[in-house]
Amino acid sequence: MYLLPTDEQDEIVATVRSQLEADFDLHALAARDGAPSVVDRDLWRRCAELGWFGLGLEESLGGVGYGLVEEALLFAELGSHATPGPFLATVLGARLAAEAGASDVAAAVVGGESVVALAEPEGDRLRVTDHGDADLLLVVGDDGAALVSSDGLEFRTEPSLDVHVPLATVDAAAARAAAPVAQLADAGALLLRGTVLISAELAGIATATAEQSTQYAKDREQFGVPVGSFQAVKHRCADMAVRAEAATSTVRHAALAVRDGLAEAPFHAHAARAVAGDAAVANAHVNVQNHGGIGFTWEHTAHRYVTRAQVLVRTLGDRTGHLGALLEQPAPQ
Amino acid sequence: MDLDLTEEEHAFREEARTWLRSNLPTEARPPEGQAMRDFDLAWQRTLYDGGWAGINWPVEFGGRGLSDIQQMIWYEEFARAEPPFTLNNSCTFVANNHGGPTLIVNGTDEQKAEHLPRILRGEVVWCQGFSEPGAGSDLAGLSTKAEIDGDELVVTGQKTWTSYAHVADLQELLVRTDPTAPKHKGITWVICDMRSPGIEIREIRTMSHVTDFCEVFYDEVRIPLANVVGGLNNGWRTAMSTLSFERGTGFMADQVELAATVERLIGEARERTDASGRPLIRDEELARRLATARAEVSALRAMTLAGISRTARTGMPGAEGSMIRLFHGELHQRVYQLALDIIGPEALRLTPVDGEGVWTGPYLQSFAYTIGGGTTDIQRNIVGERVLGLPRA
Repeated sequence: MYLLPTDEQDEIVATVRSQLEADFDLHALAARDGAPSVVDRDLWRRCAELGWFGLGLEESLGGVGYGLVEEALLFAELGSHATPGPFLATVLGARLAAEAGASDVAAAVVGGESVVALAEPEGDRLRVTDHGDADLLLVVGDDGAALVSSDGLEFRTEPSLDVHVPLATVDAAAARAAAPVAQLADAGALLLRGTVLISAELAGIATATAEQSTQYAKDREQFGVPVGSFQAVKHRCADMAVRAEAATSTVRHAALAVRDGLAEAPFHAHAARAVAGDAAVANAHVNVQNHGGIGFTWEHTAHRYVTRAQVLVRTLGDRTGHLGALLEQPAPQ
Repeated sequence: MDLDLTEEEHAFREEARTWLRSNLPTEARPPEGQAMRDFDLAWQRTLYDGGWAGINWPVEFGGRGLSDIQQMIWYEEFARAEPPFTLNNSCTFVANNHGGPTLIVNGTDEQKAEHLPRILRGEVVWCQGFSEPGAGSDLAGLSTKAEIDGDELVVTGQKTWTSYAHVADLQELLVRTDPTAPKHKGITWVICDMRSPGIEIREIRTMSHVTDFCEVFYDEVRIPLANVVGGLNNGWRTAMSTLSFERGTGFMADQVELAATVERLIGEARERTDASGRPLIRDEELARRLATARAEVSALRAMTLAGISRTARTGMPGAEGSMIRLFHGELHQRVYQLALDIIGPEALRLTPVDGEGVWTGPYLQSFAYTIGGGTTDIQRNIVGERVLGLPRA
């Protein structure tokens, strides 16, 4: 048992991080606030060339051949950088297509040619995130999951809480009318992976906000000293670090359990989602507070973690749902 | 990263499970006095005879030289065996988790040879003499003085919050040997014989009705200089290594037991009903709190595994242990607060702190978990300053 990344995994993280810092700078991306598609096709294809969309997909299915653990490390970095773009729908969509035997669809998604948006039921409509540039919708529901074409669908856009996660709805019956390009009758395994990846993204938010606050507490001086020397601030930073550590460790444990197909994998996935969700929301909130007035401005990135955390804890189920599912699991042996 | 057990670890788990099945005491632990001491030492001796003492201690000092992972597996199997007592609630705790590990790292060959085997064989009870009435969180401000007289230290002063002092043979004692040096530089870590002339012990009753919390008075107590561990005036460093063991793996047993406690509590909530006959587990608020507790003990285990991985990489438990200790202490309290909300009128009935099916005693005892071994405020300072690098006040 070993819960720290290997050197090879550390290298993947370092590569991802430098790419995100170069291409996904949040201050530069502010120009795309509220746009129907935040990440343009060129940048999306660059991510594809780096192998991000097929990172955890088996080579026999057209992927890079790593596993869920490496994918979770990628998603933790995406969370850390509050990265916009339909990464989750893309990674899950590629796997769905590959597992359903639609290898050409999978290849187009993995190659960044075909953009996928996530569609979840909301009343008699589907709530779609990142619809702007989407060729396909990944429609998830109780009855499995399917990739459907977005051609001819009428999106009703709405102002989004997170201006980097474009929001729209579409008529559910219309979306389901055409034959799907790929589908899985039982999406349980796919959604379990999704739960781990969202948890990883949430853990990334918890980590990044803890680091942002700690750095600010070292740099910002008041009363002639860094504010981090005050116990009130120091203790908030310490609590943030503990929450980030709890989230990160739980997510890694869950990623391993799901990867290895352990009987208690759902237990750990739901637990990770609960712990990471709570950590992300709490840390994002405290991070604003720790920055004072500047933290309340649009220019500062603190608010982006707040809204991203709130979106993610409502994606592929919510806190109540995951806690309920966790309580139904048998105790781990 | 992997969750795999090696073949050796698998075999170790099986071995532990089998052994525990036929060797675990069935009687309750006596709550106090000589009977308690006898019980705790007999269990330590049983562990030693079975090969379960000092699992992660080096072989040369009588341990089995196994990994922290195996130590954790042992705790997990112990908790799974549904013992009638908790592992850390024992007067052998300080010897096993403080004194022993500190000697292994800082002791002389003579000190190791004299003390380590006796600890493992259950022949000796150690207690801790760190806190003083005027030096709690500010431990380095301690004032119990020790003057050198020939080849002896002469100690005068007072220690407090010394669990099991009244049944202890030896004490890890911090004294001020250089009153002129800066406060961290004039402290010495020394082994004190609790039967020395000049020692007076008074029991203190805790809010959980336990009387093994003591204060100790020293009136010109003579301790051989040969009992100094880690060097004269170097006691602060020695003490920090003592506490790093406690914050590292010392509470692993408690952490593992807490997971079993939460599962027991979920069982209670399934069986118990509210006034209208509905199972408590159907109550939304209780269900959410139980599920959250389940998620959080699972986080605690993952953090423990990450901590073990870090220690395996660096060789010593790091300051990150304070993060686990902090998370664990507060979670432990939340779990027992939740327990009282689930057990209904039983919440009005006092139980011992230890034993089968007890809730209110452990609830009262849980307040110690955010105070002992450094309050949560101190743990937060350590995380802030030594893990995050924030400036000291």
